[in-house]
Amino acid sequence: MNEFTDKNAALARAGGRLRFFVRAAIIGAAYAALTMALAPLSYGPVQLRVSEALTVLPYFTPAAIPGLFVGCLVSNLLSPYGIVDVVCGSLATLLAACGTFLLRKRRALAPLPPVLCNAVIIGAMLYFAYGVNASLPANMLWVGAGELIVCYGAGYPLLRVLESRKSLFQ
Amino acid sequence: MIRDITIGQYYPGDTPVHRVDPRLKIVITLVFIVMLFVTRDFLGYAVAVAALGGVTAASRVPPAFILRGLKAIFLILLFTFLLNMFMTTGTPLVKLGFLTVTREGLYGAVFMGLRLVLLIVGSSLLTLTTKPIKLTDGIESLLKPLRAFGVPAHELAMMMTIALRFIPTLLEETDKIMKAQMARGADFETGSILRRAKNLVPILVPLFISAFRIAQDLAMAMEARCYRGGEGRTKLHALKMGRVDAVAMAFTALFVALLILERVYAGAIRAALISLFLV
Amino acid sequence: MSITVKDLVYIYGEGTPYETLALDRVSLEIADGEFVGLIGHTGSGKSTLVQHLNGLLKPKSGRVFVGDAELWAKGAKPVEIRKKIGFLFQYPEYQLFEESVYKDIAFGPANLGLSKEETDERVRESMAVVGLDFDAFAQRSPFDLSGGQKRKAVIAGVIAMRPEVLILDEPTAGLDPRSQRDVLEMLERIKADRRVIVILISHNMDDIARMADRVIVLEKGRVALSGSPAEVFAHEEFLHSIGLGLPPVTELMRSLRLGGVDVEGSPLDVDEAEELLDRYLRESGARRGDRGKLI
Repeated sequence: MNEFTDKNAALARAGGRLRFFVRAAIIGAAYAALTMALAPLSYGPVQLRVSEALTVLPYFTPAAIPGLFVGCLVSNLLSPYGIVDVVCGSLATLLAACGTFLLRKRRALAPLPPVLCNAVIIGAMLYFAYGVNASLPANMLWVGAGELIVCYGAGYPLLRVLESRKSLFQ
Repeated sequence: MIRDITIGQYYPGDTPVHRVDPRLKIVITLVFIVMLFVTRDFLGYAVAVAALGGVTAASRVPPAFILRGLKAIFLILLFTFLLNMFMTTGTPLVKLGFLTVTREGLYGAVFMGLRLVLLIVGSSLLTLTTKPIKLTDGIESLLKPLRAFGVPAHELAMMMTIALRFIPTLLEETDKIMKAQMARGADFETGSILRRAKNLVPILVPLFISAFRIAQDLAMAMEARCYRGGEGRTKLHALKMGRVDAVAMAFTALFVALLILERVYAGAIRAALISLFLV
Repeated sequence: MSITVKDLVYIYGEGTPYETLALDRVSLEIADGEFVGLIGHTGSGKSTLVQHLNGLLKPKSGRVFVGDAELWAKGAKPVEIRKKIGFLFQYPEYQLFEESVYKDIAFGPANLGLSKEETDERVRESMAVVGLDFDAFAQRSPFDLSGGQKRKAVIAGVIAMRPEVLILDEPTAGLDPRSQRDVLEMLERIKADRRVIVILISHNMDDIARMADRVIVLEKGRVALSGSPAEVFAHEEFLHSIGLGLPPVTELMRSLRLGGVDVEGSPLDVDEAEELLDRYLRESGARRGDRGKLI
């Protein structure tokens, strides 16, 4: 045992960590790329982002937690959205991703965190920052309903289909 | 098809606005947004509009680009406007069927609407005059102090940089994959949400296979070049403040001062203006 | 079923700083059952051109007819036309996504709306055409296959749609020699069948010379030459000037000529070359009476 083996051990440990973050970054890039590729549906007031279906990814790999966060952040920065939207949207995505990861033993509940997080955070953003005058609960319900449709209508089937291919994420 | 889209909002230029340190630009934008919520009347907004107009002129970005941002939130803007106009109680002005437009409603609609517009335009100016990579550097720098609280500023910036670098690559991959599956009769445009979700699989699986292969190669390449995380790592283009930044700070301070004064002395100013116009 | 293209124009990145004229009023006609070889230097517009034939790209101007249907006419549905055209991209292995080879090959027929029985028939049939043993491969994961096997699986997936037109973009690229032979033999069988139009994009002039009824040469987005392989490969200098090669045997004859040997003809295969060289040797041998010196 000498300084070289110690350094190597340290590098090996750092390697695992590096791989994790690089993976997360690429997942983020894929998320952003898909959002842009299927653009007409993604950037609109009715947030029927096809990429919202991707919020189920943390079910398969924890790298998707920072991955989706970065993906959302970056694709928002590249789009004509306000800073408030960038911050709120990304934070909502991060919290939701954590939630989905924590619920990875309960398949039916996995698409739920994005629905709740977006409903609360984006709903509040619309009400307080964007001045959408319907009541706060109304805003939250509106966003929540949209998210519910996409997350369970698209995300859940996606989850089911990808499950048989779990090895993809190893 | 996809190659036709220019990635991101950045409008190239070498104006003073472009040259301001990105950290400062981010902070100024945040200050601007906060002030938008501090101001309570149109006079304050007039100052904000003037400020934005000045910065836009200095940045030499064509107005068409600035207005692009508004297209994205058009429907929200419409919603806000209509909701405020019809749903606010107060002195009625016009009656349209069973909907009433009140004076307060109209005032609120224009006020909120304008605020939203200013919010978006202010943010747009940030992304229009700052390259995404510089924004990343700025965010990393601003978040550095938070490392004590566990915020992984360096890792976040690294992930953003990598993501930005690989978005065009993955876009091309997606395009390739979509075309190949379309050639086999896959249809991504029509169908119910469920149908379209299932149709994502022929794109997602190949895309992620590609993505993870890229991630593996990249991680190996970084390791091979002795990347060890952020400790002691230096930058090729370090952020440095300069004269432009001092000027920007001065203008921002002036802006904030004006708006605070306006808010505090609102009543007096209004009275003065009214007397001015009546004489 | 024929293909007609009239004055096709396509511009990449219109309105951006990267605007390029990819296709400059290309016109051509391909008859029923023809085997066409499409050659051209990188960037000449080959891939762009063929992507117009199944509606993946929309022309800036010009008309495309597949059979009687005009793509992009009012009310036309590109999706429907795509179902008649089988397209094999370069290094197409990335298309594979299903859990089993069977399911992946079945993807195309499923999109055509075929019944389970019909789909099954198509899968078995196309696996036989490409030479993938059904019992051995049908249930395996496509990701477990070797390079050559993956290529065959993808080709099977395309053929399973029973297209009337088969467009292949460098189908042997990156394959080991054995798999390359397999793919080329498969193409020969398809050609012998005479039921489909085949458009082969390749840099291998030997394959093109051997199999194509007609060769089309693209250069800078325009049709530079069009004719039988013998006709086209006779334009040796021109082809070289635009960065293309000739079939190896034709190159050999050209090199001999450049080296001072007064031999004529642009043979496309070894037999032809042998004949020409033989004739030359006999004639010059008779003049010089001294065959030995030339060899």
